[in-house]
Amino acid sequence: MAETSILPTRNAAAIPALRARKDTIFLRILTFAFTVSIIAYIAIPMLVTLAMSFNDASAIRFPIKVWSLKWYGDFFASPQWVDALTSSIIIALGTTVISTVSGVLAAWAFERFTFVFKPLVYLLIMLPLFMPGVVLGLGVAMAFGDVSLLGINIYGSRALVMLAHSLWAMPLVFMLMEATFRTVDHRVVEASYDLGGRPLRTFLEIVLPSVSTGIISSALFAFVISLNEFVMALFLTTRDTQTLPVLMWLSLRSAGTPRLAVASVILAAAVFVSLSLIMVWYIRQLRKN
Amino acid sequence: MADMNALELDSVRRAYGGVVAVDNVSIDVKRGEFVTLLGPSGSGKTSTLRLIGGFERPDAGAIRINGIRIDHLPAYQRDTTTIFQSGALFPHKTVAENVAYGLRMRGVAKADIAPRVKQALEVVRLSGYEQRYPAQLSGGQKQRVALARAMVVRPAILLFDEPLSALDLSLRLQLRAEIKRLHEEIGFSAIYVTHDQGEAMAMSSRIAVMRGGRIEQIDRPEKVFGEPANEFVYTFIGESCCLKARIVAGGAADSDGEPIDLRLSNPPGDGAWRLYIRPSRMHLGRADMPNGLKARLDFTEFLGDVHRYHFKAAKLELFVDHPGAVAHRPGDLVDIGWQTADMIAYQ
Amino acid sequence: MSIGTSEMSAPDAARRKAGLRARLAPWLLMAPALLIAVAFFGLPIAFMARMSFNEHIDQRFYVPGFTFDNYAAMLTDQTFRGALFTTMRLALISSVVTVVIGYAFAMLVWLKPKRWRLAFIALALCPLLISEISIIFGWWMFFPKNGLLSYALVSSGLITDKISLMYTEFAAFVGLTYVTLPFCFFILLSIFDGIDKKVLEASADLGSAPLRTFYEVLLPLTKGGIAAAFAQSFIWAVGTYATPSALGPDTLWTIGYLIQEQMLGKHNWPRAAAFSIVLTIGVALVMVIVRALTSKRTALNG
Repeated sequence: MAETSILPTRNAAAIPALRARKDTIFLRILTFAFTVSIIAYIAIPMLVTLAMSFNDASAIRFPIKVWSLKWYGDFFASPQWVDALTSSIIIALGTTVISTVSGVLAAWAFERFTFVFKPLVYLLIMLPLFMPGVVLGLGVAMAFGDVSLLGINIYGSRALVMLAHSLWAMPLVFMLMEATFRTVDHRVVEASYDLGGRPLRTFLEIVLPSVSTGIISSALFAFVISLNEFVMALFLTTRDTQTLPVLMWLSLRSAGTPRLAVASVILAAAVFVSLSLIMVWYIRQLRKN
Repeated sequence: MADMNALELDSVRRAYGGVVAVDNVSIDVKRGEFVTLLGPSGSGKTSTLRLIGGFERPDAGAIRINGIRIDHLPAYQRDTTTIFQSGALFPHKTVAENVAYGLRMRGVAKADIAPRVKQALEVVRLSGYEQRYPAQLSGGQKQRVALARAMVVRPAILLFDEPLSALDLSLRLQLRAEIKRLHEEIGFSAIYVTHDQGEAMAMSSRIAVMRGGRIEQIDRPEKVFGEPANEFVYTFIGESCCLKARIVAGGAADSDGEPIDLRLSNPPGDGAWRLYIRPSRMHLGRADMPNGLKARLDFTEFLGDVHRYHFKAAKLELFVDHPGAVAHRPGDLVDIGWQTADMIAYQ
Repeated sequence: MSIGTSEMSAPDAARRKAGLRARLAPWLLMAPALLIAVAFFGLPIAFMARMSFNEHIDQRFYVPGFTFDNYAAMLTDQTFRGALFTTMRLALISSVVTVVIGYAFAMLVWLKPKRWRLAFIALALCPLLISEISIIFGWWMFFPKNGLLSYALVSSGLITDKISLMYTEFAAFVGLTYVTLPFCFFILLSIFDGIDKKVLEASADLGSAPLRTFYEVLLPLTKGGIAAAFAQSFIWAVGTYATPSALGPDTLWTIGYLIQEQMLGKHNWPRAAAFSIVLTIGVALVMVIVRALTSKRTALNG
């Protein structure tokens, strides 16, 4: 593992040779120790959770004596937890669509046009990304707490959560896509106009395909943000629209069971499955060219 | 209607900020004519092309295609297609899809597209490459696809934006010949932008030499070369040596204040002159010619076909191309002679 | 062609139309994004600002009015002042720790051979991809008496009695750092990737010891990245209240926790709104300060 020291010490002429070697060995040990620690640090909560989800007992207690899939069965047998999972996925998909469409269009406007108040608009779009979830959730809850549209109460609806989650997801998509659009060869866009491609067709046929990787990646980020978010959702959902992380947070406050570990694994699995689908798509895309 | 111009630029002007890129440019391109815009970088030739293509709008003047004014139309509504310097192929589309693109945008019937694509690829000798992606093509092949993609829609005028300048020399010569062949076979109308005078000479029906956003001269290649309108055109097209000389009482007095040994059989009037001669029209060791100069040999370059001899006389530097090696050595004083008709004088 | 004057007016009208379209197009494209930002961010902030001046009487959410009580209360209210102090302390310490660890991690990845790079990046991406609630729960199973840490230490013979680090500030810091580390890491890695590794060799060739090379070459080159990473961590740490409140001691009340408590527990909307406004202003201030500092630095350098 520790095949390189953290900093090269090629020329030791100015330092006594022995000291230089001691330094190098010390640095190597330090590097190795740090590498192991950081891997352990990042892996621990994930491994603990994965292990606990296969526990047979009801208590969170190590060592795990009997392994089973009991809690997975329990999770899927509980309508409350399955509903929460469904709700989470619906909200995450909705957020993905809303924030990807709006973020991509806004980023294209920034790349393609000059207009007045550009820095101000930029700030307005980006600012929510840096706001604490508790502030955004509270604000939306207060402003839309008793607004109803066509007789349906907006508060507690999944649509409101999607829009609230878009406050984080949309600026992120916007930021990523602005950088991606800058890599588009403007001569290729001109070539399309030149051949008779109207702006909309050019955007759909030429621009979008050449930034497809960027769009897919930012859509994935939007999906992940929404799927995992629970502070805004806590303020904005009712029992009927509760998302999985919200339910997890509420049950953690009362009592932790291995069912929570199962829920964590399922949430993570949803993320990693979509990630690998995109990887497969990306590799096929690479092979095409 | 038969002799209607494919393209007319009428006093077109375009400025960026305070800089006038295209200054009162008027050009008529007849049907089937191949007109080259030739000039150094910054001369406004590419800006002119972009105005025709519709990527920029003129500040003043009119642009007509087949007699109809189009300068208010965006690029996608103009009957022009461009072959870009970079090719600008759509990287995610196959060769066939690239070529078909313009046809699809123009609403050509689906059944007609495939045969026209096939034919266009045959014309540029790329049959069998339909399913390749641009990344799988060489530089020359990419430019041929770009050519096919632009030609297949049969535009009123084809616009070439330095299409060969990114290629290496042998490929450049080969493609140049091919474009020329296609022009003769198909007879399309074209505007071709280049800074390479060899390309301009070889391909053009007419050349427009540009400088500072203006057209200095527009004429057939041999006229532009043989009868340049002014000093800029003369010096820009072909190589030349400049002899600066002050002439007093019908004889050469000095150059930049130093006396020189310059004979002129038919000197221009008194005053400070710049006399130009092509290096291939000067002859070594010929004191018997009507005009002559004694100069000291500085150094020699071997250029393949010829040897190039660099001389110094007073403050003048000049070079002479000579087909074979000569016995002179650096430091020798050599007679250089030329015919009066080969010299041109500007004040 | 003898179209004469009519030839002039048609293009002019078309040009005007095209100009109008070009001016309108960006706003149409941005409309959905602006709608979201204005309706669900601008409007709620304005609503909250107004709400923070309302009164809270009995058990009603709020009573319309105009009072500075909610802001004045912050100056006198021990709980709020405690929470403010706790939040700042937590955010500051955890950001410093995060930047140090993230810096070392990014430097490690930068220096390691290419084949390790992807694995490390995937590793650093993990905390970003899993939910904060899952992270909390993971550590929640690690620290207590019956958790993995205690078990591992006892069974390896390092200690004899089971221990619990649960509900300590240490646990809160571990959780908070875990959440903020990936942001920090990726910001710093992008800075390191912009540095030519040859500067290290050049420095070593001139006889500098590694530590000196770090101090005199690497640190100045990465100053801007450190500031950006610190700001990012700080903003996140200020806003993240679930992790410290779930892993830390009961007394560890942050502003975020207080807001939730006022809103969901005490149903005191005006107070919750006032706290939120203060938090929003705080975050904006940090952003402005860091912007000013980093831009001044580049102005001096360039």
